Amino acid sequence: MDVLLSGQLVVSALVLGALYALVALGLNLIYGTMRLLNVAHGDILMLGGYVAFWSFTLLDLPPPVSLFIAFAAAAGFGALVYSLIFRRVLKSTAVLERIEANSLLVFFGISVIIQNLASLAFSANDRAYPYLDQVIDLGGITLGADRLATLVIALAVCLACVFFFRFSRVGLAVRALIQQRDAAALVGIDTDRINLLVFCLGFGLAGLAGTLISMTEQVSPFIGFPFTIAAFVIIILGGLGNLYGSLAGAFILAGIEVYGVALTSSSFRSILVYGVFIAILLLRPQGLFNRGSATR
Amino acid sequence: MKSHGNFLLLLAAGIAFGAIYPALAGDYFIGVGLTLLMWIALTQSWTVLSGMTGYISLGHAVFFGLGAYVMVLGWTEKLPLLVTIPLAGLVAGLLALLVGAPCLRVRGPYFVILTFGLAEFVKFVVVSVEAGLGKAGRLLFATPSLETLFYIMLALAAAAIVLCYGVRRSRFGAGLRAIREDETAAQTLGIPVTRFKLAAYVLSAIIPGMVGAVMMLRSTYFEPLQVFNPITSFTIVSMAIIGGSDDAPGPLLGAAFLVILSELLWANAPELYMVILGALLVAFVLFLPEGIWGRIQKLRRRRAA
Repeated sequence: MDVLLSGQLVVSALVLGALYALVALGLNLIYGTMRLLNVAHGDILMLGGYVAFWSFTLLDLPPPVSLFIAFAAAAGFGALVYSLIFRRVLKSTAVLERIEANSLLVFFGISVIIQNLASLAFSANDRAYPYLDQVIDLGGITLGADRLATLVIALAVCLACVFFFRFSRVGLAVRALIQQRDAAALVGIDTDRINLLVFCLGFGLAGLAGTLISMTEQVSPFIGFPFTIAAFVIIILGGLGNLYGSLAGAFILAGIEVYGVALTSSSFRSILVYGVFIAILLLRPQGLFNRGSATR
Repeated sequence: MKSHGNFLLLLAAGIAFGAIYPALAGDYFIGVGLTLLMWIALTQSWTVLSGMTGYISLGHAVFFGLGAYVMVLGWTEKLPLLVTIPLAGLVAGLLALLVGAPCLRVRGPYFVILTFGLAEFVKFVVVSVEAGLGKAGRLLFATPSLETLFYIMLALAAAAIVLCYGVRRSRFGAGLRAIREDETAAQTLGIPVTRFKLAAYVLSAIIPGMVGAVMMLRSTYFEPLQVFNPITSFTIVSMAIIGGSDDAPGPLLGAAFLVILSELLWANAPELYMVILGALLVAFVLFLPEGIWGRIQKLRRRRAA
C-alpha cells in the first residue's frame, strides 16, 4: 500500500501522461478534422527519435535543439503525404465516404513502408545516447533529469497547443472544422489549407514526441507501434476529435498503466492497455466525455 | 445455372490438380502449395464477413492463433486429428459468437481497430497463461507428413471457396451486401441485420481456426507471439483488397499474387517485400479499390457493351 501512495509513482504517471498527451494530440487532430486514422503516427515518432539520435551523435546537437529539426522534418513529411495522397481524395465526397474506413488501411500501408525502409536504412539495432543521465532528488522523489526534461517540454508543448486552439484565428478555424466540417467551409474557412496545416502539425508533434522518447528509451525501427496503440486508446477514451478529452485520457491511461504494473507485474502491461482499449470501445465508443453515439 | 456449372467444373479441376500435385512436386513446392492453400482458405473466409458486409476485420489472426493453440493442447493430449481440427474450428467460431454481438455494434474505423485490439488482447492473455504454466514455447513431436497436411489444407481451401461462392449467391449474401451499401436501409427493408452480421462473423472465423490448427502441425513449434502475429491479419486484408470484389475469384487472385511475390522476395529481402506490400495496399485502396478481379469484370462488361 505504501508503494501506491508514494510520490515516485505519481511522478512516473505524470511523465508518461504528459508524453502520451503529446503523442495523442497529433493523432486526434488529424482524425478530428479529416476523419483519417493515422496508424503510421508511431512511426513518425520513431523517425523523430532517429533525428534526435543522429543529431546528437553526428552534430552534437542535444534533443532540446534537435526537437525543432524533428518537428520541421516530420511536418514536411506530413505536407508531402497530404499533397500526394489525401488532397485529391478529400475533395470528392463520394471517395471520402469510402475512404473513412479505408484510411486506416492506407496508413497501415504507409506504416509498414516506413518501418521497413527505416530498418533497411538504419538497421534494426537499438540506438541510444547519453544525455542528462544524472538523477535528481526532489524531496525524497528521485527522478532522472532526462525524464524531468521530458515532463517539462511535453507539458509546455501541450500548453502551447491549448493556447493555439483557444486564441489564434487559425487554431479556432481548426476547431470549427472539427465541429462542423461543411459549415466551416460555408463561412469561408479554407478547408484545404487547414487540412494541410493539421497534417503538418499532427506529424510535427509526433516527430517532436519522438525526440523526447529517444532521451529515455532506445530507438529502433519498430518502437512506434506501442505508441500508436496507446494514442488510439487515449483518443478513444477522450472521444475521437475531442482535443481536451484526449489530454485527460492521456493521464488516465498513464495512471492505469503505471499503477496497474505496480500492482501486478510488468508482463501485464499489454493486457491492461488492450483491456482498457476493448472495454472502452465496447462500452462507450463515443468516449468518456462525449455525448451521443459514435457508432454511426 | 450455366455459371454454377463453370464454377463446379473449375473447382473440380482445381481439386484434381491439387490431388496429383504432391506427386509431381518436391518438398519445397509442396510447401509453397500448402502456403498458397492456407492463404486462399483464410482470405476466402475473411471475405464472407468483410468483403460482403464492409466490416473490415484486422483481427483474423486471433482465430488462426486460437486454432493453433487448440491443436497444441489436443496434440499433447493425443487426441486424433479428426477431433482436434474440427474442435479448433468450433473454438474459433465460439469466440466469434461470443465477441461478435458487442463488436458488430460499432462501424467503420472503430470496428477495424476493435478487431485488431481484440486479437492483440487474446495474444497477450495466451502469452501470460503460457508464462504462468512455465512454458517457454512448446514443441510438437511426430507430426503428420507434409503431404497429409497438404491434402487437409486442400480440403479446407476448397471448403472456403465453396462457402464464399455459396454465400455470395444466397439470400443471406444479398442481405450482407445490402448491409454494406446502407445498413439503415437494409434494416428498414426487414433484413435481420444483427443476426446476419453475427452469422457472417462466425462463418468467417471457423475455417481460419482449422487452418491455424493445421499450420501448427507444419511449424511444430508453438510460440504465442508467432501464431497470433498481427502480420497474418494484415496479409489477409492486403490479399483481399488486391484481389478485390466480394466473390471467390478475387481473394484467390490476391492470395496467389502475394504468395508468388513473397516466395520471390521474402527469403532474400524481407524488408523490401514488406515495403512493396505496403505500397500495393496504399495504391489499391486509393486508385484501384475494386481490385484485380473487379477491374477484370469491369473491362469484360465494357467489352460486352
